[in-house]
Amino acid sequence: MFNQFSFHARAFALGALLGSASLPAVAADSQADELAKIKQELNQSIQMIKALAARVQELEAKQAQAPSASAPAAAAPSIVQGPRPPQPDTARLDAVEQKVTEIETMNATRHTDDTGLPMHGFADMGIGNHNPFHPNEEGTYLNNIDFYLTPQIGGRFLSLFEMNFEVDHAGNFGVDIERGQLGYQFSDAATLWIGRFHTPYGFVNTAMHHGVWINDSLRRPGFLMFEDQGGILPAHTVGAWVTGALRGDGGKVLYDVFYGNGQQIISGYIDMRSGGNDHGKPIYGGRLGYQWTAGAAEGLTVGVHAFESRIDDDQTPEGLTEIKVYGGYAVYDTDTWEHMVEVYFFNNLDVFPSNGVHKSKAYYAQFGYRAPWIVPYVRYERATLDQTDNYFSAQVTGGSYYRSAAGFRYDFNTKAAFKFELANTHYTDRTVGQINEILGDISIRF
Amino acid sequence: MHSWSTASLATPRNLVCCAALSLIAGICSAQAGTRLDLLPQSWRDDQGRELKLGDLRGHRVILTMAYASCHYICPMTMDGLQRMQQALDVRGERANIIVVGYDPQNDKPWDWHQYRLSHRLDRDNWHFLSGSAQATEVLARQLGFGFWKYDEHVMHESRAIIFGADGALQTVLGSRTAHWPDVL
Repeated sequence: MFNQFSFHARAFALGALLGSASLPAVAADSQADELAKIKQELNQSIQMIKALAARVQELEAKQAQAPSASAPAAAAPSIVQGPRPPQPDTARLDAVEQKVTEIETMNATRHTDDTGLPMHGFADMGIGNHNPFHPNEEGTYLNNIDFYLTPQIGGRFLSLFEMNFEVDHAGNFGVDIERGQLGYQFSDAATLWIGRFHTPYGFVNTAMHHGVWINDSLRRPGFLMFEDQGGILPAHTVGAWVTGALRGDGGKVLYDVFYGNGQQIISGYIDMRSGGNDHGKPIYGGRLGYQWTAGAAEGLTVGVHAFESRIDDDQTPEGLTEIKVYGGYAVYDTDTWEHMVEVYFFNNLDVFPSNGVHKSKAYYAQFGYRAPWIVPYVRYERATLDQTDNYFSAQVTGGSYYRSAAGFRYDFNTKAAFKFELANTHYTDRTVGQINEILGDISIRF
Repeated sequence: MHSWSTASLATPRNLVCCAALSLIAGICSAQAGTRLDLLPQSWRDDQGRELKLGDLRGHRVILTMAYASCHYICPMTMDGLQRMQQALDVRGERANIIVVGYDPQNDKPWDWHQYRLSHRLDRDNWHFLSGSAQATEVLARQLGFGFWKYDEHVMHESRAIIFGADGALQTVLGSRTAHWPDVL
């Protein structure tokens, strides 16, 4: 009788154990609390089976010591067998535990491509006497919620989508596919992207993207802001882009070549013409850099960039400017320092109305120190823009200025940061004056 | 970008609670029962030599993940590992310290070699490993190293896992673990 009970008990317990063991496989990707609960149940099952096994051994030992008492049970026509030594139970328990481990390992190593698309991204909001991205607004601001999606296609095919829910310069809320790229990776040295991407010039435009959290400073230099935030450069291009790195001893050669739709200035802001432009002219250009990965210059990257485009506007009569932009950048990025310098020269030809060639320039230098608890930085930026150049005069934020800024970044944890910046901006031609800004921003990643 | 504050949590009771919670959560997400020899085995160290994790049994193993161009979280992780190394030295214990690259496309053995030179992590018991993208993902999933890539950036946490000399998972350390050497 006892043996019959113990057999069923063991069978039940083994079933419970295996059943419990399979539960984590179902819940492996769910919340940690759920997993902890399952683990607790698993541990309880193991404890129970151990207790039962001990009880069985005890009873079997008693049975072995009193054979006459167990005779009726032994005579019964059942599956009951004679007394067993304790060793097989231990062996079976070991086997079960091994099986549980294998199930857990199989669960952990299974691919999750068919379980949905991970959603990550960034968000930030803040307060200031001016909105850092739209200076005409004041007070508390919501900047953006930026979703970053990278659907797994397989093989050498790549995809990347960045959807941004953001507040524009008029205070209106909108949604934008900031980046939508499909790619093919030929090798580590060459990847082809098509779609809408961040135009590869300088450093910031392809290093910081839309997630404010990623940047140590509260904002980009003004002239390098995204188009709808007042930037004067075509930060986005819709077309094709080949990028890669060629490795050598002590460093990497970085290169980019791109070709896409010529942009258009609409209502005073540059638009990247995601559906094509109305004059068929392209933007094209490239960037070439070298990054030291060893030696005394480790962390230093220097490069040059150039691009050309024909950009029209929505004025009457329609203006058309052939812009030629070239320049360079240098970045020193280490565990301790983050310094960056970029310079842009403009050599623009007003095609219509024909107004000759105009030269302008813009640059900034930012120096940061990665202290253990805080990252302070200072930045100086200046844009000297020819106001007789149709390309700048057609832009709402195409005026010349210079700005001095100092700020810091403080990380609450690995996913949330507070940034503070004091800035003084002088406007020097279209409007003459200055503003002082006190800005605070909380940014997160998720 | 750099450290975060735990000053507001620094009461002994809170520290104990945080350590306990992070340990529990860490072990749960690291899949109890995971052993070194059940992890992906094919890796190359910063000299280009093949290394199998299962071969490291016999000493404790402290394993973390990192990427070479990280200037935010990884330096703190390395600092924590170095402090653990000092504690191990004091007690005369040898352990293998494993750093597995999150980003094998960008971080090749050569890059890790330069990394350990520039960071002066030249002890022979430290191993900087590169593997295939698939092996990296599987290992990260098995050990609970959640990460995602934002272009050239890798979003991740500070985390390390200690395996016993028998290769069994022993302890999980995270960003809320106050002082990593105390866990040894």
